[in-house]
Amino acid sequence: MSYDIAVLGGGPAGMAAATEAAQRGARVVLLEESAAPGGQVYRAPPSGFIGPVDADRRAGDALRAALLASGAELRTGCRVWGVGGGPLVPQREPAAPFRLDALDSDGRSFAMEARALVLCCGTHERIIAFPGWTLPGVLGLAAATILLKAHGVLPGRRVVVAGAGPLLYAVAAKLLKAGAEVAAVVDLAHRTEWLRALPRLAARPDLLAQGLAWRATLVARGVRVIAGAGVTAARGDEVLQAVQVEGAWIACDALCIGHGLVPATEATRTFRAAHRYAPAEGGWVPVLDADQRCSVPLLYTAGDGAGVRGAAAAPASGRVAALAALHDLGLLPDHAAARVAPARDLARAAKAGGAMARMMALRPALVRAIPPETIVCRCEGVTRAEIEAACADGAADMNQMKQFTRCGMGPCQGRICGETAAELVGMHCGGREKAGFATGRLPLRPVPMDALLGEFDYADIPVPKPAPI
Amino acid sequence: MIAGMDVIAEHDRMKDVAHPLRIAGISRPADVTFSFAGTSLSAPEGENLAAALIACGIRRLGEGQDAARPRAALCMMGVCQQCLLRVDGRLVQACLVPVRAGMVVTAT
Amino acid sequence: MFDVAVIGAGVMGCSTALFLARAGMKVVLLDRGAICREASGVNAGTLTMQMTRAALIPYALRAHEMWLRMPEWCDGGHVLATACPGLSVAFTEHEAAMLEERAHFRRQAGAPIELVTPARAREIEPGLSERVIAAGHCPIDGFTSAYLTGRAFRPALLNAGVELREDCAVQGIAPGFVLETAAGTVQAKRIVLAGGVWLQDMAAWLRVTLPIKVLINQLVVTERMAPVMRTVLGVASGLLSLKQYANGSVLIGGGWQGIGDRARGGLAVKPESFLGNVRLAAHAVPALRDARVLRAWLGLEAETADALPAIGPIPGIDDAWIIGSVHSGYTSGPYLGKLLAQAICGQAPELPLFPIDRLLAQEKAA
Ligand SMILES: Cc1cc2nc3c(=O)[nH]c(=O)nc-3n(C[C@H](O)[C@H](O)[C@H](O)COP(=O)(O)OP(=O)(O)OC[C@H]3O[C@@H](n4cnc5c(N)ncnc54)[C@H](O)[C@@H]3O)c2cc1C
Ligand SMILES: Cc1cc2nc3c(=O)[nH]c(=O)nc-3n(C[C@H](O)[C@H](O)[C@H](O)COP(=O)(O)OP(=O)(O)OC[C@H]3O[C@@H](n4cnc5c(N)ncnc54)[C@H](O)[C@@H]3O)c2cc1C
Ligand code: FES
Repeated sequence: MSYDIAVLGGGPAGMAAATEAAQRGARVVLLEESAAPGGQVYRAPPSGFIGPVDADRRAGDALRAALLASGAELRTGCRVWGVGGGPLVPQREPAAPFRLDALDSDGRSFAMEARALVLCCGTHERIIAFPGWTLPGVLGLAAATILLKAHGVLPGRRVVVAGAGPLLYAVAAKLLKAGAEVAAVVDLAHRTEWLRALPRLAARPDLLAQGLAWRATLVARGVRVIAGAGVTAARGDEVLQAVQVEGAWIACDALCIGHGLVPATEATRTFRAAHRYAPAEGGWVPVLDADQRCSVPLLYTAGDGAGVRGAAAAPASGRVAALAALHDLGLLPDHAAARVAPARDLARAAKAGGAMARMMALRPALVRAIPPETIVCRCEGVTRAEIEAACADGAADMNQMKQFTRCGMGPCQGRICGETAAELVGMHCGGREKAGFATGRLPLRPVPMDALLGEFDYADIPVPKPAPI
Repeated sequence: MIAGMDVIAEHDRMKDVAHPLRIAGISRPADVTFSFAGTSLSAPEGENLAAALIACGIRRLGEGQDAARPRAALCMMGVCQQCLLRVDGRLVQACLVPVRAGMVVTAT
Repeated sequence: MFDVAVIGAGVMGCSTALFLARAGMKVVLLDRGAICREASGVNAGTLTMQMTRAALIPYALRAHEMWLRMPEWCDGGHVLATACPGLSVAFTEHEAAMLEERAHFRRQAGAPIELVTPARAREIEPGLSERVIAAGHCPIDGFTSAYLTGRAFRPALLNAGVELREDCAVQGIAPGFVLETAAGTVQAKRIVLAGGVWLQDMAAWLRVTLPIKVLINQLVVTERMAPVMRTVLGVASGLLSLKQYANGSVLIGGGWQGIGDRARGGLAVKPESFLGNVRLAAHAVPALRDARVLRAWLGLEAETADALPAIGPIPGIDDAWIIGSVHSGYTSGPYLGKLLAQAICGQAPELPLFPIDRLLAQEKAA
């Protein structure tokens, strides 16, 4: 299977990129792990689940409809575990077509090639460790939006919502509407921080209105909003029973907590594209030109994976990336004219999105406050004290710290602990830039060996020539 | 007792009675039964497995091999790997699969 | 002015520097990156007699002992070295013949390898596939967590008075052993080149032409899983090395090749090598089918023209030494560093070195 353009990730950015490219006649494939395209904001509910239609649902449905009509080939339920080709070829060989290895929904492995690759892998959530954060009942804040919006399930009956950014109020309002009790909203930002962001949000009156409506709901229902504070501990035997805020314990059976979003850069790191550390955009992001081109030829990144700018900016950046790819492949005669509208949309949406992203930037004080014995890496059970001991033993970047402690070597490959760990390493070695990031390697996601292996004959394994005795 | 703790106690009693965590106003497919760690549960067919377990009051997903035990769904989007379970013997992330009638879910 | 400058802080450079300092020399150890972050920190950590070249077995046996007792000679530093039996297996008649021949040579070199029946092999390794038709068993085998190597050596080096300069690439060597680095020059009475696959570039600083082939070795690790095996497992051809760590993860290696080079490092796996390697592993231990693959990576291993080590004085240049290009070099590393330190200190090494005159002569003839 061979395409002009492969788009990895079917969120708003990927859907728009694939639609734009296919509408203009390119052979396009879109690969998405979920059963339906939509991504994190516009995640489609499972089939047969019919709920009230809200603005997000309408926006998602519109993107899905355009995608289906565009002629792009859609491969959902398809987990891409391998990316290769492009610059990843032996020395002095010309760049190869990109190659993607994936598992389909039946767990079978397959591969495909494309001349250009648009990465729209989105973000994952940053949750800075605190005592008790591994207790069942503690859930991500963005995770809560998925649970509530896509699956229609409450995380608990009496919920504390904590962290940073607009999702706090979205989740709290949704919880109230669905009948849960919100024990408190604990916002790391002071009111003044929100006031400072207001002028930029004014670029998007719709979002501003939505935000004000969420807050009004909270006020009307008498929900306690604790500003400029964070959850310092969680406790419970076996499951969560209470969280600590400003020294007092608040009883709850669920805590939804998130400290911002981190761009998913595993694919761009695997391609050895250039990255820069941009805390206001979520952390390490690929270096891009004005048309979403990475430093690697024919590789593009769009959406929040290119730097957090929110759902509204994602489709516009996807279209800009698709147009650049078409142009670079010689498939678009008038690139300059075609890019005007999406580039303008992107600039506009990025303004409000950027202000929100800044509210969600990592707050180093949270990391400094982690007690030494708190587990930072869940998969491997590595504590802050162990990470700092490794730094004292000479680990001066993320890769060496990982070697010395196993932090980030488990199944999540550092996606959950990475931000906390990098901040700790940075405190010792002179900053996040010096601390760097873990080298990108395959697979992008854990792959079940069984699916990978398939049926085979021993004789068909291409065993290389043995070494001399 | 911590203020509000009685609410939780009440919820713990409720959890076998109905599905108080499923949000009203959504039309869902008919329930099917499946098992988790030997206990029979029911959930609408096609509901996300991690969500279904939460709705059934099950948040502790087993001890697993990892150091921070017990595990529980954290990210709901396939990243954290904390929801790893076996479905009919195969390792799957609960937050990425739907509930099917008769599926046998066990710890890793 | 240092007595010795050791260039390259892999297992070869670290052990040479440590034993030189312990012998009373003033040592500087320089690396362009962090300590043991190339081959010595990313290798499979197998301490095996069944993959080591026969000529290296006497060295490997002594080094095996050193790894197991590392805390005693390395100020408590350790790499979680674990002793266990090793099995090398055959699935076909052809491989069985190869197994027999190879076991014979290695036995002659001192490795206690015996051929065993498939039934006996499965007693030793219950996880082994039914498809095995013959096996070589070596009671002396084992493995380490190689990623701990830098952490294990570092305190001992510092305690011994070695000046460790990380992130300090040597760019060239001016007459009088003046090493050029971005942070200024460093002068020493003697130098040791310990640059792994970069030995070729380092030799060129001294106008010595020493071709070093670069192998791009691939490794694959699984998620933690319940115990499925308890030995170090290989195949007759040497193209599999398989073991399960105490934490449950299984490491799959064997020298399958990926994409990369000296300049860019280990860049990417080749899909066919990746698949071939894991299939071979699952063919040997069927329970691996149940695992999930977490990560694959690549490291660079050096090889000389005759695939034997380069360890000894550099001909024609007094007080310049070289160490590296050792097949299964992690296994033998600490012992070889100790030997070279003995030679540099003017003692007769316990076992012979591997002087490079042979390689330079070949190069001249060619
Ligand atoms: C849980 C969550 C909730 C959020 N809620 C909001 C919100 O309410 N409002 C807002 O403005 N922003 C929200 N955000 C930010 C959000 O990321 C963006 O606004 C928006 O979704 C970005 O779109 P995208 O296309 O860049 O990425 P996403 O929507 O994240 O889409 C990326 C897609 O790529 C797929 N993918 C990634 N890797 C692979 C792979 N290897 N194989 C196959 N598929 C893959 C994923 O399954 C996903 O569908 C949320 C983020 C998260 C994580
Ligand atoms: C993937 C892989 C798996 C392996 N598995 C095994 C195994 O299971 N068992 C086994 O026994 N062996 C194994 N080996 C072989 C073993 O790892 C090597 O033989 C051994 O580690 C080599 O050590 P070294 O010190 O010579 O080289 P290296 O560890 O590569 O060290 C060389 C050092 O020189 C430094 N350097 C380079 N240029 C400069 C410069 N200009 N200035 C300063 N410093 C410089 C580098 O940064 C590096 O740190 C494996 C190798 C690989 C790559
Ligand atoms: S809840 Fe994080 S992977 Fe499923």
